Parts: sequence; structure tokens; C-alpha cells
Amino acid sequence: MTSSYNIIGLWQAWLNSGNLLLSAIAVLIYAIGVMIVIAIFSYMFGWAERKIIAKIQHRHGPTYVGKYGILQNLADLIKLLSKENIVPSNANLRLMQLSVIFILSASTFLVLILPFAHSLQVANFGTGLLIVFVFISFMPLAVFVGGVSSGNKFGHISAQRSVLMLLSYELPMVLVVAAAAMLSGSFNIQQVVLTQASRGYFALLMPIGFVIFFIAMLAEFERPPFDIREADSELISGWLTDFSSPYYALVLFIDYTRMFLGSLLVAIIFLGGWSGPVLPGPVWLIFKATLVALFTIIIRATTVRMRIDRMLRLGWMWLLPLSLINLILTYIIFVA
Amino acid sequence: MEFGIRNGKVMVIMVTRINIGPVHPSTHGVLRLVADIEGDTVENVEAHIGMLHRGVEKLVETRKYLQSHPYMEKLDYVSPLAYDETYVSAVEAALGVDVKERAQYVRVIELELQRVASHLLFLGTMCNDIGQMFTMFMWTFEDRDMVLRLLEQATGERMFYVNMRLGGVNLDLPKDFEENCIAFINREEKRIREYEHYLESNPVFMERMKGVGILNRDDAVELGVTGPVLRASGVQYDVRKNNPYYVYDRLNFEMQTEHKGDNFARYKVRMLEIKESLRLIKNALRMIPEGDAIGMPVKLILPAAKNREVMVRREVPRGELMMYMIADPQSPYRLSIRSPNFVNLSALEYVARGCKTADLFAILGSLDMVMGCVDK
Repeated sequence: MTSSYNIIGLWQAWLNSGNLLLSAIAVLIYAIGVMIVIAIFSYMFGWAERKIIAKIQHRHGPTYVGKYGILQNLADLIKLLSKENIVPSNANLRLMQLSVIFILSASTFLVLILPFAHSLQVANFGTGLLIVFVFISFMPLAVFVGGVSSGNKFGHISAQRSVLMLLSYELPMVLVVAAAAMLSGSFNIQQVVLTQASRGYFALLMPIGFVIFFIAMLAEFERPPFDIREADSELISGWLTDFSSPYYALVLFIDYTRMFLGSLLVAIIFLGGWSGPVLPGPVWLIFKATLVALFTIIIRATTVRMRIDRMLRLGWMWLLPLSLINLILTYIIFVA
Repeated sequence: MEFGIRNGKVMVIMVTRINIGPVHPSTHGVLRLVADIEGDTVENVEAHIGMLHRGVEKLVETRKYLQSHPYMEKLDYVSPLAYDETYVSAVEAALGVDVKERAQYVRVIELELQRVASHLLFLGTMCNDIGQMFTMFMWTFEDRDMVLRLLEQATGERMFYVNMRLGGVNLDLPKDFEENCIAFINREEKRIREYEHYLESNPVFMERMKGVGILNRDDAVELGVTGPVLRASGVQYDVRKNNPYYVYDRLNFEMQTEHKGDNFARYKVRMLEIKESLRLIKNALRMIPEGDAIGMPVKLILPAAKNREVMVRREVPRGELMMYMIADPQSPYRLSIRSPNFVNLSALEYVARGCKTADLFAILGSLDMVMGCVDK
């Protein structure tokens, strides 16, 4: 235990040394570590999703490759990478690639700037929450670009839906985040977690906000019942229809990365982040994020998909007024 | 891009013509739809069929009477037994053969089991089409597999039974069939209640089903749709009731109708029919007489046909199936099949106009098509 804390201390010393080279090395080491965590989480989440959904559907799921089929996703990945990349003649390959890469880099960057523990954060921005949600708001636009540039008509419809969805859940989500910031008195993410350690989890302090944020998270990261953009039974795969082998593998990885980001955000803003007894902070954070992620798997297996116009109605008729009420109640009860 | 008038203003309307299928997750086989979509609204949809056309009606003409069962079964591969039975009854009518008393009960039991299996498949694919990927599908397939196992016990085959013979059946029900069947029915009744509870307490499901794809009573009659689709629009028409065959008039069962004519009504009618069929099977098992159910031996040369022109109508799971046959002595001169799937599919264009893209597939699922029967 002590030695690990010493390593973190050394890392922090490098990070805050003022020497550009040492700081860059420290950031790089941290980034590599975060990428490894993302990769492991994505892999295990992909496997768990297949296994849990299989159990719910009275199937076995993957069984042959490795113990309990744990290597199945690796086999799939190798298969996807070894196949030919087919680009439709009227697609704009550069833009398609760019959209995927933008989403991947944005979500990885956001995971990078989230605090895994009090001392484990690469840069403690004063406006951390705002930065996170600015980047998240750009993701549907990347989906739009990807859908339109794929030259597929299903992609076009998906791209239109993407913008409509942005209208429906973005505002409520930001209002809930505003309430969270009001409670903690700061946009600093560290401060949000520390406030929860002293005042109690925000999920308990503002349950309405928690539910709204969770719904918006599902919608943001294309999880059912809000997988309207890539509705498999309607639009084949929506904006992903013409992404073939290696890019499709990348897109699957992005899906899980975004899922990780979403669960981390829920865990940090509402479930107390890294705070918890006995175990070290990062373990608590990843444990909470995993619980949130597993819950989304169960939702995926049991509910039907929403329709885009109903999604808008849900957003404007329910989520927006409720998020305003949440904001006002939070102000009246806890701040004023 | 074209110009049009919306709400009194001249606007640019972007209409995308989009080709859906034949390779698409929700077209139930090889249906191809060409849809004009404005934004997310379906302006017009056209069904292009014929990709599974095998010329069954012509094939039948070149064969003796009893060589054609397997072709009939492959028309609707979800309820093959019903089609086999309809064809055999047409031949029976032409030859003037009476069906034995016990065989009538056996046929009714098997037909109703087939109806349950078919409606269970509908429930699964319907939920797939509205986006609950494969959970309900796997559950109902599990149940359907139990029906298929029962039918396998009774007929010796799992999918394509060819169990009908002139005047009776090929294999009588086995000894332990009743016991197994009752056990299945008791289990299934509970499961169906569970499914209903699970689906109908889900607000998203209700939102996707209620008030979507409305086909009102007059239009339903006008379009000539049949079966559960017709009954969901509030028309009291079921061949088993209106024109009873076999022992249906002696068995106690209700015709199930709904009146809204939307997706939910079509789903509900089928759920009610599953329950009713299970009750009917129980009833028939209680009333089935002892005796012989085996039909005439299978021979190529049969007694020559007496009636020149026959028509039979049967309530198969997807609606009213009619077979019109002009009979030569040893083979059909002409067989015409009025497929319920075909007429139900023709209603899609009407029902789906003006709905959302997502609902197009929900409506398609609720009409419950089997392309093998549409294309013949």
C-alpha cells in the first residue's frame, strides 16, 4: 500500500514540477494507464454484456473461446481487423474516419481528465464539469457528420435523428449538472466529489436529477431504449451501416468507451466518486461505474426502443420541466 | 428535392426514396419495400414481392394428388400443418372422402397447436421489430419449441409434418400425448400471462403499439384483410365460427376481436387467440373419442375424383386461406390459392402512409407476414 502511494507521490511531483518534459512524461504515463483501464473495462463490459443478455434470454452466450467464452471478443476483434475495409463509392472516407476518431479521442480525453482519486487526476480544472459537457455535446454532431458522409440513406436518417436527439436531452442534462454545481458551489469535479463525501451522495440529495441524468446518459451514449440513431431493426445500423471491418471494430470499442465515460460520470457526479471505506479510491470509482454499466445492460435486454418523436416529447414535456424543478428545489432546500 | 404546400406555405420538401430489404433485419424474409421518407415520416411505401416465387400452383398441376403435400407445407413455413390440411381437405372434397370422427379431433388439436406456435413466433418477431432485440424472441422460441416437440411426438416430424392423409391422419396421437399436452398447456397459460404483464406494463411498449397503424373497420373490409388483422379492426369474422369445419362447432371457444384496429389490437387479438386455442385443445382432448384415425393408404392412383370444382376455406393462423381446385381424375387441373398473407401485405401501403419510419417496421411486424406464402 505504502509503496503504491509513494509511486503516486513521485508521479505527482513530476506532474507539478514545472519542468515541461517531466510533466509531459507524467501525463503520458497517466494517459497510457487510463487507456489500459479503458481497454480492460471495454473488453470485460463487452463480454459481460454478451453473457448477461444471454442469461436473460435463456441462452448460453459465448462458451467456446477461452474459459466461459472470455476470449470470444478478442477472436471477433481479430476477425474484424483481418477483413477488407469496403468503402462505398459515394462515401467521404476522410469525414467518416474523422467522425469516429473525434468521438474516440473526445471520450478518451474526458476519461483522462476525470479524477480517479483525490491525488489521481492529470489536470484539476476549475471548470471541469463545463469542459466535460461541452465535449459531450459535440459528439452527436460527430455522429451527424459520420452519418451524412457515409453516403447511405439509412445513415442520413440516422444523422437527422442524431440532431433531434441532441435537442431533446441536452438541455435537461446541463440543467441537472448546473444543480450539481450549485450544490457543491463549484464546477470543479474534485469539489463535487468532496462535497458528496461531506453532505451525502447527490443521488440521494436530488433523486429527480439523478434519474434525469441517467436517462440523458443513456440517450447520449446510444444505449437502449434510446438507441434511436443506430436502431438495428429499423435503420440496420444507422450511421454505422457503411462502416466496415476495422472501423466497425473501432466503433464497437468507442461504444464501450463511451459507456465507461457515462458510468464514470454518473458515479462521480451522483454516487460519490472515489469516496468509500477501506478500499482505495480508484477501486471504489470503478466498482460504482461497473454497477451503473451492469444496470444499463439489464435495461438493454428488457425494454423496447423509443420512437424519435416520443423521445422529443419526453425531453421537452418531462425531462426539461423536471430538471428545472430539480434546480429550484435544490436551491430552496440546500442553498438558500 | 421538390416543392409542395404545407400549412398554406410553399416549402421545399426533402423526400428520400429509400430501399428497404430484401436484406434487412425486419423484413421477415425477402420482402422489398420502397419507401418515400420525408424527414422521419413515411410519405408512401410500396411492397415489391416475388423474390420467393416458386410457382407452386403450376407445380401441383403436374403431380398426382398426394405428391403435393410437401409443396403446400413450404408455402407458410411457420404454420405448415395448416396448409397441408387445407390442401388435403380440398382433395377430400374432390374425391368425396369423409374424415373419420377421431381423425377430425386429431386434426383440430394439431391445427390449434400449430396456431399457438405461429402466434408465439409473431410475438417474438413483433418485439424484435420494435427494438427489444431478441429477449422476447428467445423466450417465445423456447415456448414454440415445446409445441414443436409435441407435434413431433404426434407426427414424427419437427417442422414439415406431412401428417395428413385422405380421410384421416398419418399417425394417431401417441399414448402419453394427452398428459404431455396438458402439462404444456398449464405451463404455457402461465407464461402467456407473464408476457402480457411484462409487455403491457412497459410504457414504452404501449407507446409504440397503441394508436399506431390504425386500420378502421370499413377499410379493413374494403382491403380484404383477413384473420387476426381483420378481427383487430372489430369485424366478427372467423372461419371456424362463421363456416365451421370438423368439430369446431361442437367445441366451446370464443371468437376474439378488438375494435381499435391499431398495432396493439393486432397484438392483443393474437395473445387472446393463443389463450383460446390452448383452452380449445384442452376441450378437444377431453372430448376426443376412441377409435381409428388413420386415413387411406398413400397411393399414387386414387379413386377418381367425383367433384369437378371444389373450394375449401380454412382459418389458418394468418387468416382465411382458400383453395379453389378444378379436379381432373388423378391430379388437379388447376389449383388456385388465396393466400391470407398476400392480402394482409397489400394493406401495408395503406396503413403505413404517414407514419414514422420506426412505425413502418412495427406495422409490418404486426401484420405478421410469411413471404413464402405471399410469393407462392
